[in-house]
Order: sequence, then structure tokens, then C-alpha cells
Amino acid sequence: MPQPCTIVIFGATGDLTHRKLIPALYNLAADGDLPPSVAIVGFARREKSDEEFRRDLEEATHKFSRQVVRDEIWKTFAQSIFYHQSEFDDESGYKRLAKRLDEIDKNYGTRGNRLFYFAAAPDQFEPILKHLKAAGLNETCQGSWARVIVEKPFGTDLASARELNRIVRSSFTEEQTYRIDHFLGKETAQNILVLRFANAIFAPLWNTHYVDHVQITAAETLGVGSRAGFYERAGALRDMVQNHLLQLLCLVAMEPPTDLAADSIRDEKVKVVRSLRRWSRNEIAANVVRAQYTEGAIHGDPVSGYRQEQNVNPDSKTETFVALRLFIDDWRWADVPVYMRVGKRLPKSATEISIHFKKAPPVLFNKDLSDLNVLVIRIQPDEGISLRIHAKVPGTSFRIEPVKMDFHYGTSFGKASPEAYERLLLDAMSGDPTLFARRDEVEQAWAFIDPIEEAWHAKKVAPELFFYPAGSWGPEAADDLLARDGRAWRRL
Amino acid sequence: MPAVTEKYSLGVPVAISRIDQELKKLWQQNEGAVTRASLVNLAVYSEEPGSLERNTQLVAKITENHACRAIVIEADCKATEDRVDAWISAHCHVSRAGSKQICSEQISFLLKGGCTTLLPSIVFSHLDSDLPFYLWWQEEFREPMDPQLWAWVDRVIYDSQVWNDFRAQMRLVESAQEEAKQRIVLCDLNWTRLDNVRFALAQFFDHPASHHHFAKIRRVRIDFASGFRSTAVLFAGWLAAQLNWRSEKADVANKLRFVGPSGRKIYVELGERPGEPIGEVAMETPEVEFLVTHAKCGDLLEVSRTKPGEKSMPQLMPAAKNDPVSLMSEELIRGGPHHVYLHAVNRVGELL
Repeated sequence: MPQPCTIVIFGATGDLTHRKLIPALYNLAADGDLPPSVAIVGFARREKSDEEFRRDLEEATHKFSRQVVRDEIWKTFAQSIFYHQSEFDDESGYKRLAKRLDEIDKNYGTRGNRLFYFAAAPDQFEPILKHLKAAGLNETCQGSWARVIVEKPFGTDLASARELNRIVRSSFTEEQTYRIDHFLGKETAQNILVLRFANAIFAPLWNTHYVDHVQITAAETLGVGSRAGFYERAGALRDMVQNHLLQLLCLVAMEPPTDLAADSIRDEKVKVVRSLRRWSRNEIAANVVRAQYTEGAIHGDPVSGYRQEQNVNPDSKTETFVALRLFIDDWRWADVPVYMRVGKRLPKSATEISIHFKKAPPVLFNKDLSDLNVLVIRIQPDEGISLRIHAKVPGTSFRIEPVKMDFHYGTSFGKASPEAYERLLLDAMSGDPTLFARRDEVEQAWAFIDPIEEAWHAKKVAPELFFYPAGSWGPEAADDLLARDGRAWRRL
Repeated sequence: MPAVTEKYSLGVPVAISRIDQELKKLWQQNEGAVTRASLVNLAVYSEEPGSLERNTQLVAKITENHACRAIVIEADCKATEDRVDAWISAHCHVSRAGSKQICSEQISFLLKGGCTTLLPSIVFSHLDSDLPFYLWWQEEFREPMDPQLWAWVDRVIYDSQVWNDFRAQMRLVESAQEEAKQRIVLCDLNWTRLDNVRFALAQFFDHPASHHHFAKIRRVRIDFASGFRSTAVLFAGWLAAQLNWRSEKADVANKLRFVGPSGRKIYVELGERPGEPIGEVAMETPEVEFLVTHAKCGDLLEVSRTKPGEKSMPQLMPAAKNDPVSLMSEELIRGGPHHVYLHAVNRVGELL
């Protein structure tokens, strides 16, 4: 159960707070899921009064909330929102914060529970953590708790992730630390475990004997937008693959956990990342394709190329698209390729996992069928599951065509799925870290990603950077990655 | 349900970036009352002004029997401004099984300006995933043929009857097929138009006892309506491919010459006559004439075999309708590659 608490958001004037966090908290309040005593304190550098802060957030919530904002609910909700102005490295700001939190505890019944949300830039994490500790805010009196939610990127490589873990650990224990990956908060991501372990029909098929290959696609129509500064340093591999896509892969490929406890599930997930086949430099060139978008059209509108975007180096080699061919070297998945692709300025915005089953024996009906049975798990935007099977077309001839059985969350349950942040914030308030990444998961993921980044940045014979027009499904080299194995990307 | 059309409205105008959300809304509003169905993605492309409305009518009829996601595109490539307008609608029909309405969704686009750049992005963004993609191309093909677009096409449907240069067009289609690195099935509605006449003629030879006539065929007469010479030539190509005839250079355009396996000459005469695309086919051996002609009553073919001293016993068979909805419906029922068509084209490609 979520408990009364004060949520302190560092970086409260930023995009994440306005677009995701406050709308998520408002929706929880509107649905009656937020505990009655929850206060929100926005911590940021800019001068602002509580009233101004509330007004900004109200405007943003009207824009980004999944449900219509009702004035009477907002008024009550906004009463518990406060603004705290301070530089991140100003010790006195934290002392004032500690005082203010005590007052809030007294006046709002938040019982000394504190949830610190790091929505600031990663280079601010260290001073924030240091000062929180110095102000004694990492400790609580008996019966209450302090937790910290850390937003991605959690490091930029294995070394920096380890360093960040060290810094966090110097103020908060692993049990107090919640590393957020919003993909895990999506309804369908959580449903992967239900699909796999609550339906006996899939369990016998979920292995190398019956699965031909797996595909994971995270496509977006958007370009780099206002994130150019960050994206130039990160690229698609660090921004998406290291966290979101590997987390999804873990849910698809993990062994059944012994129980549903957070660590039982995370123990199994980390084994998957640990089992990912590591490559030599030459193998990286053969199994990973990186590319960058050039000018093209999205939704019929012409869009510029990545290098022409604002704040992007005109000679940038940052990848906006990555396709990978992976293998999980364990008993269950031996020799089953997993193809992943992620990219910006692709024709559709969609994140989907597809399990492609092996063909039926090539006798009787199956001689000329090139399509496989495919189980699709749609993570976003239209959350749901579909299964492609073959059926005979009615008539005198024996024509077989693929048909799709489709389940949509949106229409099947008559209730909209909560936003990922709603679920994750609620879990953090409840002290359930199941859907948050553990330290070893993050570090193992970087250990897999680092050699690829190193190969790309090698001075001699770095793998080629390909180009693709905006609005296409990536470069031809990405198609070739599968074509070499006699396969093709799924059509989304 | 404002956007569901029994008739032929383009439906609700929508911003392109919101098409998926608006479609979702459309179905959520009507959950329970209607069922959305789709077995294929059918994209229809035309550059003829006003084709959006005309093709919407066709799609409304086609979806009575073939549930699909239709993407209907009208392009004005010569427009100076670059602009895309979009609409969504649904074609609903009462199912055969009961009162439930089965609906197919249609997304319509009016493209202005850079058609070549816009087309792949429009199509890629709006396909219903995991379903085959049929592209009905109502224009002549022209370069450049976008390899990424063609790599996604399972069946390309066209009507070679309207082509000015058959060989150049086939070359473009074949090169697109090659570049796409996948097997695209070529579906020519001009070939579909011949289906029933071909079946009618072939049925004379269903019994092996009739096969000896193949070696004696000397003359074939094919009557075609104005504008359907290519249909008649394709029919001759079919005979040549099936009976292993080799074409010889002809001096007169409508008098074709073939050589059979034994060196025997076969003369095929094409004659223009008002009426159906293929009005009559007569195939002669020294002893027998096989005739397929349109019956005077209704949409039927009359088939007969005339032999001196033998009473002619005409039979009636269904004739195909030469309208786009019937031709498309016929084509959508079929599966697999059109090997016979390709063989026929190979035999008479240079005559088309």
C-alpha cells in the first residue's frame, strides 16, 4: 500500500516534472489511488513562489494529463504542492529544506516519509546526494522511511555507472534506491510475466525448440527535438538499448522466478543480461548497425536531417538508429537470435516485442507458407497482444492466409491503462522495487554496451555509420542483418 | 457514429499525426455494435483528379467481401505546394451470419507536391501490422521506384490495359521486384479480365481424350473491344505458353504468327468489334471449331464445339464482369504467384 509521504522533486522546473511526474500524481489523486497525505515539494534554482509553481504545473497538467483535469480535484491536490528555491550545491538550501519538510510532516500528516526524485541532470546527482546526507535527510526516525528515485541515464558507461552507484550508496542503501525505467511501468511490460507464467499454453513453446527468433522494436517518429545537447553525447544505444530494450528483453527471456518478490524477479532478469553473447570488434561490425537520419518526411511533412538539427554538430557521428543481432547463451535460448532495433524519425511510434515461432513441418499445407506464427506484445502506444495464425480462406480453393487475433487493453477492460509513471511512483511509495532496476542489472547492461561503444569510437577501422532518410525504416544494412539469416523485420 | 459511412463520404478530416488515435476513438465509440475486421492492407494509388471519391466508392464495395485496411491515396504531383490532407472513415456491412456490422477502416490521403518522397512515409506509417500489403497502382509506373516501399509490397495490382508501353512498364515492375529483394506477386487486372474466357476454353480439353486436338490447332480468332487489344494479345500469349508455341515476327499488327512444337504454323487473328473486352474466341483444327462467345442473355458465356456431322450442343458458363470491383474481388480471392501470367507475358511481351 502506498504510504503518506512528501515527494521532493529535484529539477522541478524541468520537462519531466511538467510532462510526466505532476500529471501522473494528479491522475493518481483523481483516481483515488494517492494516499490522502501526500505533499510535493519542487526543488529548483529559479526564483518562484508556491503560487507561481502551482500555476505552471496546472497549465502543464491540463496539457499532458491522460484524463481531463477537474478544477475541484486540482484545487485540493495543489494545496499540498510547494516550491523550494535553492542551488543544488548550496548547503543552506538543504537545511531550509529539512526544516520545511518537518513543518509539512506536522501540518499534512506525511509522517516523516520522504521520496526524493532526481529529475535533474546526472552531473547534479553528486552534490544533491552529498547535501541530503549532510542535512540528515537520508535518515529518518523510526517507523518512517527515505527513498531516492534516480532517473536515467544511470551513467554513460560501466565505470560511470559504478561511480554513480558508489555515490548513491554513500547516502542511501540499495534498498532505499529506486532506479527508474519507465518502460517497466507500462501495463503490457508487466503483463509479459502474466502472459508467460499465468498461461500454460505458452510455457512449453517458449524456448529454442519452438521459437525461431525474437524481435524488439522501439520506433519513434520524433527527431532529437530539444534533447540535442544530451543526445549528442548519448546516442540511441545508450539512450534506449542499455536500459529500456534490455529490460524488455529480460522480461521476455528470463526463467520463471521462485516467487514474485522483487529480488526473485530481478535475480532472473540479471541472468539474462549476463548470458548475452559478447563480441569481438569484428563481430560487433557484423552484428550491430548504427545509422543517422537524413532529411525526409514524417506524416507528410518534410523534416530536416539529424546534422541539421539545432545544437547538433554538423559532422556528428551520433547514432539515431541502432539494430542489433543478439544471442542469449543459455539453455533456453541457445541459437535463437534476438533482433533489436531502435530509432528516431521512423514512420511510426511504436514499441513492440514479437515472438516468431518456427514453421510447422513442410508437408501438407505448409509447403509454400513463408509467414510464421507471431505473438506480438505491444508495449505502446496501443497496448495489447496479438497472435498471427494461418487460416483457410472460405471457398472451394485451398488458399491459406495469415489472420490476426487481437487484444487491445484500451477496449477490452473499459478502463484506460495508467501511465507508466503513475504505477512506478505508487510502487516507490509502497516500497516495492520490483519494477525498478537493481545495481547489478544496470552494471551488467553497461558491461554489454561498453564494447560496442568502444568499437564505434575506435580510431582505427570503426564500424561504418549508415544513413537513412527520415520516414523510412532505417538503413538497408539493418535489413541485411536479418536477410543474412533468411529473415526480415516485422512490418509494424 | 459520424465517421462510419454506408455510402461514399471520405469521412472525418484528421491531422496526419493523429490518425491512429482518431481511429482508436472511432472504434471505442462503437465497441460492441460493430466489429473491425482486416485481412490485408490495401493501398490504392491514383493521380487522377477526383479519384479519392471514386476509389472510396470502389473500396466501399470491395470491403463487402474483403475486409481490409484501405489506404486510398490521390496524388497531385505537379502541385507547387507540398501538402497532405487526410480523412478516416469506416465501411460497415451487415455480416452474413447475423445482424452484427463488420467494418473495414479507410484512411484517405490527398498528397500535393513531392509525391515520390511522401508516398513511402505515408504508406509505412499507416499499415496494419502483420497483415499482407497489397498495392493497387492505378497509374503508369515511373522511375524512381522506391526500393524500401517495394520491399514491403506482397502483391502489386495494376491494369496493363491502360499502359502505353507494356514492355517499358514491365521492365520497371520487374526491376522494382528485383531491388526489393523479395517476391512481389504481379497481379494484372487485364489478366484477371481473361479468367472466365480462359476457363471456358480450357474446359473443352479437361478430358485427356481431347488432347490430340492441341497438335492440330491452325487458326485462332480473338474478337476484342476497342481499347482491349492488349487483353487479346495476353490471351494469345496464354495459349502460346500453355501449348508451347513460339511467336514469329508478324507483318500485320493484328495477324500474329506462332510455331508449334512440331514446326506447324498457327495463325492468330485479332479483330476489333464492339462489345465485351474479349467478345469471342474461336479456335480451329481441320476437324473441329471450339467457340467461346458472349451469350445474348445476361452475363453468360456460350461455349460450343462444332464438328461436321456432329450436332452442336452449346453450354452456358458464367462470364466475368469487366468492372473494377469485380476484377479486384476476383484478384483478392486468389493466392499464390501468377506463374501462368508471367509465362504468357514472356511469349507475347514484344507484341504488347
